[in-house]
Amino acid sequence: MQQCWIGHQLPYNKRVERNLVNLRWAGYVGAVLGTATVTALLAPFHEQINSTTVALAFLLVVLFVALFWGSRPALLASGLGVFSLNFFFLPPLYTLSIAHPQNWVALTAFFTTALAVGQLSARAKRRAEEAEAGKREIERLYQELQAVFERASQAEALRQSEKLKSALLDAVTHDLRTPLTSIKASITTLIDEARGRTEEDQPVALDTESRLEMLEVIDEESDRLNRFIGGLIDLARIEAGELHLRRRWGAVDEIISTALTRAEPFTQTHEVEVKIEPELPVVRVDERAVSEVVYTLVDNAAKYSPDGTKIHISAQRSDDGMIMMAVEDKGKGIEPDLRERVFDKFFRATRDGDISTHQPSGTGMGLAIAKGIVEAHDGKIWIESGTAGKGTRVVFTLPIGDEEVGEGLKTPRP
Amino acid sequence: MNDKARILVVDDEPQLTRVLRTGLKSRGYDVRAAADGLAGFETFSDWHPDLVITDLAMPNMDGLELCRRLRAISQVPIIILSAKGEEKIKVEALDVGADDFVTKPFGIDELLARVRASLRRANAQPTNETTQRVLESGDFHVDLESRHVMVRGREIRLTPKEFDLLTYFINHSEKVLTHHTLLAAIWGGDYVEQDQYLRVFVGNLRKKLETNPASPRYILTEPWVGYRFSPNE
Repeated sequence: MQQCWIGHQLPYNKRVERNLVNLRWAGYVGAVLGTATVTALLAPFHEQINSTTVALAFLLVVLFVALFWGSRPALLASGLGVFSLNFFFLPPLYTLSIAHPQNWVALTAFFTTALAVGQLSARAKRRAEEAEAGKREIERLYQELQAVFERASQAEALRQSEKLKSALLDAVTHDLRTPLTSIKASITTLIDEARGRTEEDQPVALDTESRLEMLEVIDEESDRLNRFIGGLIDLARIEAGELHLRRRWGAVDEIISTALTRAEPFTQTHEVEVKIEPELPVVRVDERAVSEVVYTLVDNAAKYSPDGTKIHISAQRSDDGMIMMAVEDKGKGIEPDLRERVFDKFFRATRDGDISTHQPSGTGMGLAIAKGIVEAHDGKIWIESGTAGKGTRVVFTLPIGDEEVGEGLKTPRP
Repeated sequence: MNDKARILVVDDEPQLTRVLRTGLKSRGYDVRAAADGLAGFETFSDWHPDLVITDLAMPNMDGLELCRRLRAISQVPIIILSAKGEEKIKVEALDVGADDFVTKPFGIDELLARVRASLRRANAQPTNETTQRVLESGDFHVDLESRHVMVRGREIRLTPKEFDLLTYFINHSEKVLTHHTLLAAIWGGDYVEQDQYLRVFVGNLRKKLETNPASPRYILTEPWVGYRFSPNE
């Protein structure tokens, strides 16, 4: 085992060592070659050049050696520089003796400077290397951190989407089960009566009116279930991008009047006011879908505003050349921070937004579908406060379609 | 039931309160409805019904809070209307004092059976429980002083804890008792998470009481919630 471990370690150690040796050799060779080159280049002209210039050239060699290979090769370069300066350039030439005492001073100054330059530049190089290593380490850590964050945010997104899914499922099952509960309770009451069961001496006494009421509940709740399922299908289509719009040229006032006729059963207790700008161009839209949007908005307005108040419906050209329609009520209004969320599917301001009201709440799909339809037409839908800051005003815009044709055909007005 | 028993129905779903009002009235009950917990609590204070049927998820005040507030002032039987997916809040409501639950959607018979059982239990509740010496209920005859227990005329021997559990069951017949409630009542507050204790003791009790312990008739299991005791086979 131990043998094996050592055997495994050896090649690595050897490789490192060889690298170090190579590096060291290169430094010393560099020191020798550098000094030799300078000597060879300058020696022939020793009479023309003063010794300070030569000393500076040798200093340059020391500097480079120190920068590339560190302090020890620099030391060698310094020594060789002293030797060459003395031997080849300071009189008497080609001896290691020195004639003038001032040259002694020069040589000592050179050697000291060379040592200092060598040490300082080697240290600077080490610092630079350390800084470089530090930078690399920081970059590596940063990348690792980034990867960790990415993984965490992916997990978080997944968890959020799972949470959303289960919240949606809860909302859907609640809305499916609620009408079913009323239907089942009604039907079992009727069945009991039909069987004439008097369990525990409790007579079953359903008069005609009660019987009719049970049947009405069953009827209404079946419709509600059907509406809900229809809404689910519409939503699924919108989300899958499969809302196949059948665009045709249609008149805005017809679209609005179709919606109002449909909404009549709910708006009888309200005062409905319609204001359509004259000479409005025809629009190239899916009339049924847009009429559905208007119907939803009018239905909501009637549902969430007190009886006897006014519901105002308007259509006009907007400044940017689109058709702008709005439905305004005199109800409680919607808080600004809920105005975006009411377009989320299954969100209900009356239940989820904690607006206290005894009004029946809808399915939470109407506005989500309306938004889907408007956006499929490249339009926009939003909510603002009603006139004088009271009530709710839902506004949506629709592009006219093809501008040229749109301008040519005006809404026929009776 | 001197004249008509009064039932308060609390649900935010108007169609369901409509059906329940008609369905319960046709069985001779006097019914009033409220659309949320707060309105329900107010109606209760004015009208003093004999029984409350309440939904759990409601605006303003939910069913759980309503149970809590009602229990603070009254022993009126409370039946919860719960849906699948609301198990946690249902158990909480039972823990704070609700008596029974019906799962949506339900047949009117099921609800009526729970209504009758709850009203019966409320009427039969002895007012001087502490001074009572003998418990007589259905097939059970329990002497609280000598700690003798007779089932269907046959004497059985119980350990002290089994005896406590049985008398608690008999005193709360026809009521859904959560694991939490039973553990706290018999073993004390430190044991409320020890469901296995309860399972062992209920198993032993069934072996001694039931004709066929594999399909119990007295101690009925309410899955994921607790037990319900019925003194008649």
